Amino acid sequence: MPREQSAVPAASSTQAFGGKYLTFVLDAEEYAVSVLKVREIIKVMDITSVPQLPPYVKGVINLRGKVIPVVDLRLKFGMAAKDYSERTCIIVVDVAVRNGRTVLMGVVVDSVSDVMNISADELADPPDFGQTADGNCVQALAKIKGTVKILLNLDSMLGADEELVRA
Amino acid sequence: MADPDLAALQSDPELATIFLSEAFDHLSSVEANVLTLEAAPDDRKTLNDVFRPFHTIKAAAGALGLASVEALAHRVENLLDRARFGEHRIGAAEIELILASVDLLTSMMRDVESRLAGYPGNDFDDRCAILIVALDRLTESGPADRQVPAAPPQDEIRDPPQGGRKIGLEGGSSQATVKVDTRKLDSLVDLVGELAIVQSMIHQDPHVLGKADERLNRNLAQLHRITSELQRGSIAMRLVPIRQTFQRMSRLVRDLGHKSGKALDLVVSGEDTELDRKVVEEISDPLMHMLRNSVDHGIEDAETRRRAGKPPQGRLSLSAYHEGGHVVIAVSDDGSGLNAEKIHRKAVAQQLVDPGVPLSEPEIHALIFRPGFSTANELTEISGRGIGMDVVRRNVETLRGRIEIQSTSGVGATFIIKLPLTLATIEGLLLSVGTQRFVLPTFAVRESLRPSRDRTHLIPGQGWVVQVREELLPLVRLADLFGIQGAVSNPDEAVVIVLEDHPRHMALMVDQLLGKQEIVIKSLGEALVNITGVAGGAILADGRISLILDARGLMRLKQREAPSYAA
Repeated sequence: MPREQSAVPAASSTQAFGGKYLTFVLDAEEYAVSVLKVREIIKVMDITSVPQLPPYVKGVINLRGKVIPVVDLRLKFGMAAKDYSERTCIIVVDVAVRNGRTVLMGVVVDSVSDVMNISADELADPPDFGQTADGNCVQALAKIKGTVKILLNLDSMLGADEELVRA
Repeated sequence: MADPDLAALQSDPELATIFLSEAFDHLSSVEANVLTLEAAPDDRKTLNDVFRPFHTIKAAAGALGLASVEALAHRVENLLDRARFGEHRIGAAEIELILASVDLLTSMMRDVESRLAGYPGNDFDDRCAILIVALDRLTESGPADRQVPAAPPQDEIRDPPQGGRKIGLEGGSSQATVKVDTRKLDSLVDLVGELAIVQSMIHQDPHVLGKADERLNRNLAQLHRITSELQRGSIAMRLVPIRQTFQRMSRLVRDLGHKSGKALDLVVSGEDTELDRKVVEEISDPLMHMLRNSVDHGIEDAETRRRAGKPPQGRLSLSAYHEGGHVVIAVSDDGSGLNAEKIHRKAVAQQLVDPGVPLSEPEIHALIFRPGFSTANELTEISGRGIGMDVVRRNVETLRGRIEIQSTSGVGATFIIKLPLTLATIEGLLLSVGTQRFVLPTFAVRESLRPSRDRTHLIPGQGWVVQVREELLPLVRLADLFGIQGAVSNPDEAVVIVLEDHPRHMALMVDQLLGKQEIVIKSLGEALVNITGVAGGAILADGRISLILDARGLMRLKQREAPSYAA
């Protein structure tokens, strides 16, 4: 996985974010993450829960001999929990953490939709809500054919989460 | 480069290799972090991350007599140190100079490397001097003054020939050893681990278990035996004695003695104790910091020692040994011990603790592991800025070990590092609580039993105790510690496991024992370190993960918890 992508600074301009995106659904909204961050998409499997973690960290899974943590995005975003179904997926992503290193993490979403090109001129800065608890997890908004997709910055959302990535 | 003293490195090729490879690692980590720093110049954490490698390189170069490397690293360290305390803001000029220093230090290291291999060296004195002047000017200029310093010289002296660098380091020894790239070794060990998992998956497959075929069983047993042996063998390949690391420490102590003017004596024992290669490499930084700390803060000056009736020579000791499934490395000194009152005062002054909250002595001692904590009233060349112990704890915890302090005022202090035998397979007891399964390393288990009703008692305000022979032990439910739903609640329907660990035993209540298994310890990954009570994960025969319990951590969790009344 290319490293340059992980060094993207906090959203200051939307120019840099054009490219290929994986889109997925959570509740009623569509979200997108850069395909450069995505390693693979797997069906929900048995998740081993781990104590002392925030509720949105569902636990760990065995990804072919590797142990990786899994985050439920619904819970991370404070939405109501939903039982996992046939359509529920785990997106395995590379998340940049401190020291320029990356870790693999699984992200549980309601369903995966599509891979699409999003060009820079379809993007807009997210409206300024002032200081929020989740910092700058939204990279930009994409307006495509009357719909809005929310581009997520997983590095600042998960990589900088100190309860999840511990020192 | 005008370092007259390459002798230290030449006399010990192993030491040279370790020093150089570590220095390169540190420098490349700086490079990555400086780029982060450029984007967020005020981030304390990144500043610390950039600062630390320079600190370590300075110390190591100083110990080995590479004066110009030490001097340059020291200047960068100064600059970053001011930035860390908000006295200097990192801007473009600073980033330029830090990067230029990284480049120059890298070139200087490459030069040391090629000179050790017998190639003629380059002269870096001029570039080094220019850079030092620029750094000094920038450090002194402070935040307001923003002039761009003289650009560091760009006339690159090409790196010396790269081919065959290692030849000079081999020496004439004719031992029957083969040098193997450690990455190849690691991937082999990983593969063998996977093999062991698959082997046990086949072994426990219901289809196989259902067959009463003698030949199949014989072959399976054979497969199991070979796999175990292969695994033991591959793990042994990674084990090396800690001797070399200890030798470096002897040299360090000698030099510390010269620099501090204190007479020092180092007693070393257990040099043949074998540890995982990675552990041996990573433990050397912490040991260095700890010894420097002991010399600087522990050992008193000759006059004070005489008045206290101690021999004039400060005595340091370094030992390694195996103990109950751990490797223990102890660093002790016969100095003044930790001054709890002084540490507490300092911590209050630095707003690390609330002055109103009373702390126990061990809690106060633990304060020295906080980032930025230092009791040294002024900076000294030896132990510097209170960053040492922070690094020590971090490094030890990265190796999933822990560090303890035993200190007696006036008599001395001992730092004990306990390291688990990482990568090793361990024999574990598989158990269940609710729908979850856990593995408890068998070395932590004294016995397991099913208590009858008259052996368990509910003590008001305290919780359950269980009587095991003559002993009354606190009964701790794993379900409570980890917040697991649907577990057996009645002690006489459950299984109680007596955990073996000093200082005292504890009885752990679980639902069921499922059997014994040979397991491979997997770390929970870089993300989930420091879960108290969890030592890692094991991949079970059905491919699912179960958490490996850490008995010590469970005890700590229990102590942290309020007594449970649940019955």
